Amino acid sequence: MKKKKLISLFMAAGMALSLAACGSSSSSEAAASAPASEASAAVSAAGSEAASGDFAGTITLGVIGPMTGTLAVYGTHISNGVELAVEQINADGGVSIGGEAYALATETKDDQGDSTECLNAMNALISDGIGLVVGSATSGCTSAITSVANSEGVVLITPSGTADALTTEMDYVFRTCFKDSFQGQLAAKYAADNGYTKVGIVYCSADTYSAGLRDAFSASCAELGVNVVAEESVATMTDVDYTNQFNKMVSAGAELVFIPFYYDVTGPYLVPQARQAGFSGVLLGCDGVDNTETTIPDGADLSVYNDFYFINHYAEDLAATDVSSCFVSSFKDKYGESPNNFDALGYDAVLVYKKAMEAAGSYAAADVQAALADTSVVYEIASGKFSFDETGTPIKSGVLMGYSYNEGDAAVTKSSIQTLEVE
Amino acid sequence: MRQDKTAKRYLINGIALALLMAVSVCISLTGGNTIKLKVVPAVWQCCYLIIMAASLNLVLGFLGQLSLGHCGFMAVGAYTAALISLAFQRAGIYEAKSGAAFILVVIASFIAAGLLAAILGLIVGIPALRLKGDYLAIITLGFGMIIVNLINNIPFCGQQGLSQGAASSALYANGLGFSNDEKMKYMWLGILAVILCMTVMFMFVRSKYGRIIRAIRDNEIAASASGINVSFYKVMTFAFSAFFAGVAGALYSCCNSALATTSFAFTNGSILNSVFIVVMVVIGGMGSLTGSVVAAIGMFLLNYTIKNGAWVNALPGFLQGIFTYPMLVYSVALIIVIMFRPRGIMGTSEFALYDIPKWPARIKKHFAKEAAKSEKREEAAVNE
Amino acid sequence: MITFIQFLITGLRLGSVYALIALGYTMVYGIIKLINFAHGDFIMVGGYTLYFTIPVMMRLGLPGWTAVILAVIVCACVGMLVELLAYRPVRKKGTNLTALITAIAMSFVLENLAQAIPAIGPDPRVPYTLFSKTVTIGGVSISTATFITIIVSALVMIGLYLFTQKTRIGRAMRCVSEDKQAAVLMGINVNRTIIITFAIGAGLAAVAALMYIAQYPKLYTTMGATLGIYAFVAAVLGGIGSLPGAMLGGMVIGIIQSATNTYISSSMSDTFVYLILIIVLMIKPAGILGKNVGEKV
Repeated sequence: MKKKKLISLFMAAGMALSLAACGSSSSSEAAASAPASEASAAVSAAGSEAASGDFAGTITLGVIGPMTGTLAVYGTHISNGVELAVEQINADGGVSIGGEAYALATETKDDQGDSTECLNAMNALISDGIGLVVGSATSGCTSAITSVANSEGVVLITPSGTADALTTEMDYVFRTCFKDSFQGQLAAKYAADNGYTKVGIVYCSADTYSAGLRDAFSASCAELGVNVVAEESVATMTDVDYTNQFNKMVSAGAELVFIPFYYDVTGPYLVPQARQAGFSGVLLGCDGVDNTETTIPDGADLSVYNDFYFINHYAEDLAATDVSSCFVSSFKDKYGESPNNFDALGYDAVLVYKKAMEAAGSYAAADVQAALADTSVVYEIASGKFSFDETGTPIKSGVLMGYSYNEGDAAVTKSSIQTLEVE
Repeated sequence: MRQDKTAKRYLINGIALALLMAVSVCISLTGGNTIKLKVVPAVWQCCYLIIMAASLNLVLGFLGQLSLGHCGFMAVGAYTAALISLAFQRAGIYEAKSGAAFILVVIASFIAAGLLAAILGLIVGIPALRLKGDYLAIITLGFGMIIVNLINNIPFCGQQGLSQGAASSALYANGLGFSNDEKMKYMWLGILAVILCMTVMFMFVRSKYGRIIRAIRDNEIAASASGINVSFYKVMTFAFSAFFAGVAGALYSCCNSALATTSFAFTNGSILNSVFIVVMVVIGGMGSLTGSVVAAIGMFLLNYTIKNGAWVNALPGFLQGIFTYPMLVYSVALIIVIMFRPRGIMGTSEFALYDIPKWPARIKKHFAKEAAKSEKREEAAVNE
Repeated sequence: MITFIQFLITGLRLGSVYALIALGYTMVYGIIKLINFAHGDFIMVGGYTLYFTIPVMMRLGLPGWTAVILAVIVCACVGMLVELLAYRPVRKKGTNLTALITAIAMSFVLENLAQAIPAIGPDPRVPYTLFSKTVTIGGVSISTATFITIIVSALVMIGLYLFTQKTRIGRAMRCVSEDKQAAVLMGINVNRTIIITFAIGAGLAAVAALMYIAQYPKLYTTMGATLGIYAFVAAVLGGIGSLPGAMLGGMVIGIIQSATNTYISSSMSDTFVYLILIIVLMIKPAGILGKNVGEKV
């Protein structure tokens, strides 16, 4: 009797241990790959005085994001981008403040995609004496910590919190992505410029990103005289069937449908189902759609991905700066996959911090905040070039990109089409 | 003699609570930076977790019905309190977040949150509690989802309302959402709410109603045969428990400057969800309010220190690997606890501070008894 | 009219998947009276197995769906392991309530375990799409996968029915579900019967996973949670423990979701699914096709 109990306990423990083995093996893998890429970074930086080892000190950046749980994919990618940037900066001689070089380090906290956990993580970082924080991934979590950042005087750069009201004038919150209303404007302008008069919207009412973009898009459409003929929603971002929504788009006669979703919805579900429902017009998404090429199922009819466009932060082929192309190649070296938006925006956040610290000549939060609040500075980052507006949101241009099916090599390719700007 | 002892117990517990209040007031007056950033937010979170766990224990432990939608009531409470506080601010009852008027509004919003949740509990309970066991679990789960789905679809409090943007900063600036400084200043309010709620729940459990619902738990048919109106007491307990879940929700909206319905879903990333409230109750002991209090604090501290504590880094590498997935740790822990103590660590017994010195002796006795039992069993096996 | 047909087809498409999953759910519940919350996560396990094995099978020159055999084996092993490690020890001591809570915990264990395995990780995966052809009839297109799912669920239902009625093990299962003590007295090895039940239930989850990913080709570690809940609601709606009930319940849930999307409000489908469930349980507490068993004193 007792023995059996013990056996079952051991088996449970064994299960846990086997998991631990997985966990540790992955971390050792990461550790093994790190020196290699460091070496390559050092090689790429040959010529500059890359003398790591004699730093005057270490500046720790706080990183908050969902590292486990349902939103883990966003957090882990942001963290990948941040780690890459930190590694490169350190290999390049660190951050030079007042003539002395400082190394960067990170302290990463998991918020599991929940606002309470996010607040705890932020408070813990502040009490550890950290004044510069990158985070969090979603608008919902970020809005839970903006108030703390302002009241405690800690700089917060959110890589991917797009909700309009996150950043306000003269405060400690900045971001490296564009805000919802800007993307909505770009999308509406694209529709107006290309002569679409009847557009539809399919969005998720329970998601801040999706609903925020929908609000911005329909407001801009009203201004530009584009007629929104149908508007349909889904209850959660984990919904799998979009056929009914597109049936309605077809019967309302929409020529273009705005789809503010993420790539994990558009690739496997939304686009094929929209075409199956008989919708043949243009599908227009936003930055979340980038990387759809990784979620296109093999064996499906790939021609459905024609006429599928999205607005993005940057394009590899339109990469305006050396930083972008360097980022893309070194990311591929380090992680063995193409970077997505979260990777790029996390990377950008660190570059922005570096420039601001060097401009301020200090790494104290208040000084860095003052440097960031200077709207004349132009930052050269992975996703292009930008300067902050008075609220702390980048003024950048967007890129319209599109997917097309190439019958020759039976593959879907992504290419940039044009640069989008709002007057 | 016995009465004397009981009186002593109450006296000691009362003194402990008074001390707790005094300490919280002292801290709020004198606390430094670390206390403000680490201790005070933790205390606030413990406050609502304790009330949540204890209120679910009324249904799960004392009434013996599994409710998987308890966080739905909490969501109702949180949104009600937040909206009421904002409405009062707009009506000009209070200007800044201080003074007697503000405290009165906070208290009023707590009570309103509880009442609305209780009414909802009544509405949910009347149809749901006609069913039993597994069916009740799934129905309450369904109601939890409906509540969240409805809140999402109400324009002024949905996902676009209090979770982000202008409305959320309004909550922070003018409504219930406390900043770190205010959390410290009003910590006594949270602790007072916990003490009051726990006292009322204790009184309920010790009253004749408490005995009745325990009778229903132990044998429903026998209870109804002895003339107990089973459905009435079930629904009453359900609504009563929903009231406290609503109050916990109001406390939650004090802690957070942004409300999002995803926080109240059936499962989500953090420990605040219907499932992990169940975990707290089960680990603490189904039918032990003090067990729930200890389990809520324990689970919170475990969760908090896994993410923010230094001790995880001191562990060997493979253990750290496990602790990067905290949910896994909790669920394995839950299975192990259930395997060995199906009614939770505390079982149905309560404890008073007065008895703590006697614990070592009791534990010894308990194990001696167990050993004797198993020996007997083995003997019996041999004899067979 | 065309809208009506289209909404019906979407409903069937969703419903057929729910039905197939609900069959496994209802079968396990019918035998041991335990809501196996981890059943949804067996689908996840099956899905990931298929993700890795379909390309291998195709490289070997076999049709992709043969990978399901491997997936069935993997899932059955996981199912048996779960029963051995968690459910059996708890069943010995605890009540229905503790068993249910264990099932919920087990579902969390599987989800997080999968996320911790480096080959799976948190990123969503898109498996190879099988049966991707569509048939167009009178302006309405239907995916062949939908047809196949309906046929497969019907076959599974009939197969399970025959299995439980005719075979020795099947009869043992029914006996265990009626009365465990009596089953022991009849010389039935209860533990062995239950573990076989779990193996079959989990194996069915692998089949369901095949049909699910053919229509909705995305895998992520927490996919089982929502899917499992819908399938469970379907099983309860149809009358839990009843095989035709699970089939019916799945279809009804799919059609309700689709109808709410089309005719009422597309973001309120959850509310209506649960509302219908609650109403049905009010009127018929054992579900549409369930038998109402009085309680023994």
